[in-house]
Amino acid sequence: MSALDILLVILRIAFGAFVPLSFVAVLVWMERRGAAFFQDRAGPNRANVLGFRAGGLIQNAADGIKLAFKEDIVPGHVKHKFYFILAPMLVFITALLCFAVIPFADVLVLGDKHYIMQAVPMDIGILWFLAVVGFGVYGIILAGWSSHNKYGMLGGLRAAAQVISYEIPMGLALVSLLAVYGTVNLTEMAQFQGKLLFGFIPMWGVVLQPLGVIIFIVAAFAETNRTPFDLAEGESEIVAGFHVEYSAMKFALFFMGEYVAMFVSSALIVTLYFGSFQIPWLNTETLVANARPLVILIMIGLPVIGYFFGAWIKKNNRSHYYRENDPRKKETAVYISLLWSLVAVTEIVLLAYLVFAHGGVADRILVALLQIGTFLFKTFLMCFVYVWVRWTLPRFRYDQLQKIGWEKLLPLALLNIFITSAIIVSFG
Amino acid sequence: MSIKVRTVERKGRTFLEQLYLVEIAKGMTVTLGHFFRNLLDNSRLYVRHYPEVQPEISARWRGRHRLTKHEDGSVKCVACFMCQTNCPSNCIMIEAGERLDGRSEKMPTRFDIDLLECIYCGYCVEACPMDAIRMDTGIFSVTSYSRESMVLGLEDLLETPGAFDEAEYKKGGG
Repeated sequence: MSALDILLVILRIAFGAFVPLSFVAVLVWMERRGAAFFQDRAGPNRANVLGFRAGGLIQNAADGIKLAFKEDIVPGHVKHKFYFILAPMLVFITALLCFAVIPFADVLVLGDKHYIMQAVPMDIGILWFLAVVGFGVYGIILAGWSSHNKYGMLGGLRAAAQVISYEIPMGLALVSLLAVYGTVNLTEMAQFQGKLLFGFIPMWGVVLQPLGVIIFIVAAFAETNRTPFDLAEGESEIVAGFHVEYSAMKFALFFMGEYVAMFVSSALIVTLYFGSFQIPWLNTETLVANARPLVILIMIGLPVIGYFFGAWIKKNNRSHYYRENDPRKKETAVYISLLWSLVAVTEIVLLAYLVFAHGGVADRILVALLQIGTFLFKTFLMCFVYVWVRWTLPRFRYDQLQKIGWEKLLPLALLNIFITSAIIVSFG
Repeated sequence: MSIKVRTVERKGRTFLEQLYLVEIAKGMTVTLGHFFRNLLDNSRLYVRHYPEVQPEISARWRGRHRLTKHEDGSVKCVACFMCQTNCPSNCIMIEAGERLDGRSEKMPTRFDIDLLECIYCGYCVEACPMDAIRMDTGIFSVTSYSRESMVLGLEDLLETPGAFDEAEYKKGGG
């Protein structure tokens, strides 16, 4: 192994471990501000460091510090302390492990070496995901059971029944998808989606499997225990469900685990159905071949985006009532200068690339970075859909949940397999 | 005479509605509209920026109590115990003493209101024959760090001014 190999291994593992973790902060922020905007409220807008609120992100830091310093209570009636403590870890670790097989850029070719851009480069891909995500529910069941509390128990039971019922339509939706792609390797799937259907439609999973994508997304919502399928928590019925007895950092682990799971399943939906890291109509080879014009395009586009973003900040980051020497105006000035310095630095880096380093390895790395950006952007949008659905739909009743799973999604998934295989067999 | 029967149309039973997806899409369009409206211009949020912007309180609002005074500054209360008797949560404690200024025979030497017990029903105000106790201070946020400081004494109650002028208060039906 050369130094480059080791560096790339470290980089990929760091990406696989830290991106979901940092996305937790982004997602919690998105959930709270998003929820507020959906309901015509303002959301967290007071917590600040030296007057800088970062659009509400500081509230996350405040919550994190609060949870870290809270008293960590293990209730006296808990008999199996080991399982009680194991449960949140299990939820968190399984959620994080799922991300290990998701490719975030196309295979990176440096010289004569090929690097698969996954935290754990292996072929089993989607099977690993199914195996690990199914394990995550053990954490919830363990938490419910070891809490020795009827609400916790009910929450755990509901989660177990729900995940078992929805894993079947999910698996069946995947079966037809695998028949289309002809592989279980997620990187190959992503490469497949770079092709064009009839020469002009990007061959994304959502185009090839319109029914499958609905089934998969619904099942993924149920798998992550998010609204409208969040019966395991159901605060109006069973208080908080499985995590009713947890406090401080153990609760925070459940909380973060939920958001990591949401991020990972968004990433998987993007990988399977929405073209993964592929930019529509521009597959990896096209990108590498046209790296220079692309960079010039980005260099022109960045200041334009910066201008509109700055205008948006200026318009919204001020006090909406009379205030002498509005401190938010000062805050806005700092944000805007930060924004423009960021734009300037990016422009300089891109210019340096154009002048000194274009061609060969630099192009490859640039394209990989672009694809990582695309992947994260798509995943971010999918996470937004999660938030959007949560603040739109009410919770299903338990019998309705099971009815949808077994009586609607399951036959639909079977029908989807039938149609897909008929088309594949007849058209080849 | 026959009973009038009104048939209520059951909604949500058509195939499209049973499919959920169309209805979900409709609902999600509505919420997304709200989201972008607020994201693009957050001055349109339906919120009051409390505590910087305080709510307007009407004269009929039952806020924290106060004891009123005559023009010369003497206590209106005659320690008749009407409010204490009428109080459903037993939060008023009065001790009567002799009154020497000739207005009446009695006056309170102690008048405590336990704000932790009080339910802000306003029965004391209605019961008072002398218009001596009122809830027109406009104080709606009663908070403290200790239980002791939540018990108001005679001095505290007399000190607090009313938030409204007399005419407005009377118009409010007080």
